[in-house]
Amino acid sequence: MKRRAGNVAAGFALLVVASAVAAAPITFNTALPVGEGEFIGRHQVIVRERTVPGGEVHVRALGNALGYGVSGRLAVFGVLPVIDRELEAGDATRHAHGFGDLTLFGRYTAWRRDERGRTLRLAPFAGVTAPTGADDESDALGRLPRPIQTGSGVWSGFGGVVITRQTLDWQADAQIAYRASGTDEGYQAGDELRFDASLQYRVWPRSLARADAFGYAVLETGWAREGRDTVGGASTATGGVRVTVSPGVQWVGRRWVIEGIVQIPVVQNLRSTAAEDDYIASAGVRYSF
Amino acid sequence: MDRLRTWIAAAALMLPAAAIGAEYRLYVDGLACPFCAYGIEKQLGKLDGVEDVHVEVGNGLVRVVTRGDRELRETDVREAVERAGFTLDRFDPVKAGS
Repeated sequence: MKRRAGNVAAGFALLVVASAVAAAPITFNTALPVGEGEFIGRHQVIVRERTVPGGEVHVRALGNALGYGVSGRLAVFGVLPVIDRELEAGDATRHAHGFGDLTLFGRYTAWRRDERGRTLRLAPFAGVTAPTGADDESDALGRLPRPIQTGSGVWSGFGGVVITRQTLDWQADAQIAYRASGTDEGYQAGDELRFDASLQYRVWPRSLARADAFGYAVLETGWAREGRDTVGGASTATGGVRVTVSPGVQWVGRRWVIEGIVQIPVVQNLRSTAAEDDYIASAGVRYSF
Repeated sequence: MDRLRTWIAAAALMLPAAAIGAEYRLYVDGLACPFCAYGIEKQLGKLDGVEDVHVEVGNGLVRVVTRGDRELRETDVREAVERAGFTLDRFDPVKAGS
C-alpha cells in the first residue's frame, strides 16, 4: 500500500509553491519578482478526490506559503500545508490529520527584458522538501498506509526553470521541473518530471484608465511523468503519466490576489496500483506586506 | 495683539508652502499589473523625503512627490525601481521643491 505518498505530498507542494506574485499561474511558479524586503503570504484551501484500488481518498488541505524578496531578482519561499486525509475502503474508514512536509526553495530571475507595459523573464528555481509531516500514524487497524499519512517520510529535492511573458492584456507562463526523492525504511518515491503552462487573460476592466484591479480568466495545463516507487529495491506498479486541464479565475488588486481553479485530469495513463485523481480544486488568497 | 494676529496669519500662509515638495514623473518598464505596482510604491516610499507615490499601471507612469525642499537623485530612484524588480526608463523632474 506504499502508493505514491511522495508525489501526493509533492502535488500539494506544487499547488502551494505555485505563483508568488501578480497575475501568475495558480498551480505552479512564475518568474515575476518579489520586491527586495517584501513579504508575500499565500493560503489555499485544497480539495482533492482520488481513487485507489479498493477505495477512495478524500483530501482536504490548507496550503500556507511565505515568500521573501532577498533582492529584486532573488526570492526565497517556505511552504507548510495542513492536511486532512481520509481513506474509504469497503466498510473501513481511516483518517490522518496534521502538518504536511515543509518545502523550502529559492528562485532567481536570471534574465529579463522589460518594456513599457510588458516583460519577459526567465527564472531557475531549486529547493527541498523535508519530511516534517507524520509518516508513522496508526489506528485500530495498524499503521496507516503511506497515501494517508500527512508526511511522505522522505527527503526530496527539485529544480526547474520558469519563463514568464506578461503584458497588460495577458500573461503566459511555462515551467519544467524535476523532482527526485530519497529513501525511508526501504521506500523510495519515484522521480517526477513535469511540464506546466498557464495563460491568464484580462477580462476586466476593458479600459486601463486608473485601473486598480484586474480580473483574469485562467487556463492551465500540466503534464507529469511519475516514476515507479520502489520498496526494498523492488519496483512497484505505481507511477505513470498524468495530464490535467485547469480553468480558473483571478482577481488581482494592489495588495491582494483572490483566485480559484479546478484541475481536471484528461489523461491518466497509470500503472495498476497508482492512485487516480478525480479532480483537484483550490481557492485562496495572496497578499503582500 | 494686531502684531500677533499678523504673525499667526503669516505663519499660516507659510505652512502650505513649506509642505509642497518636488514632483517627478517616472516611466517604469516591465510593470503590467496592479500587484506589481505595490512593490514599486513600497520601494520608492522608502526613499528619504518621499511624501507620496502614485502608480498608473496602464501607462507605466509613476508620480512621486517629496516633502519640503527634498529632491530625489536619479541613481537612488533607479536603484529603488531595480529593488522592486523593474527597470526605470525615464526620470523626469516636473517641479522643484520649495
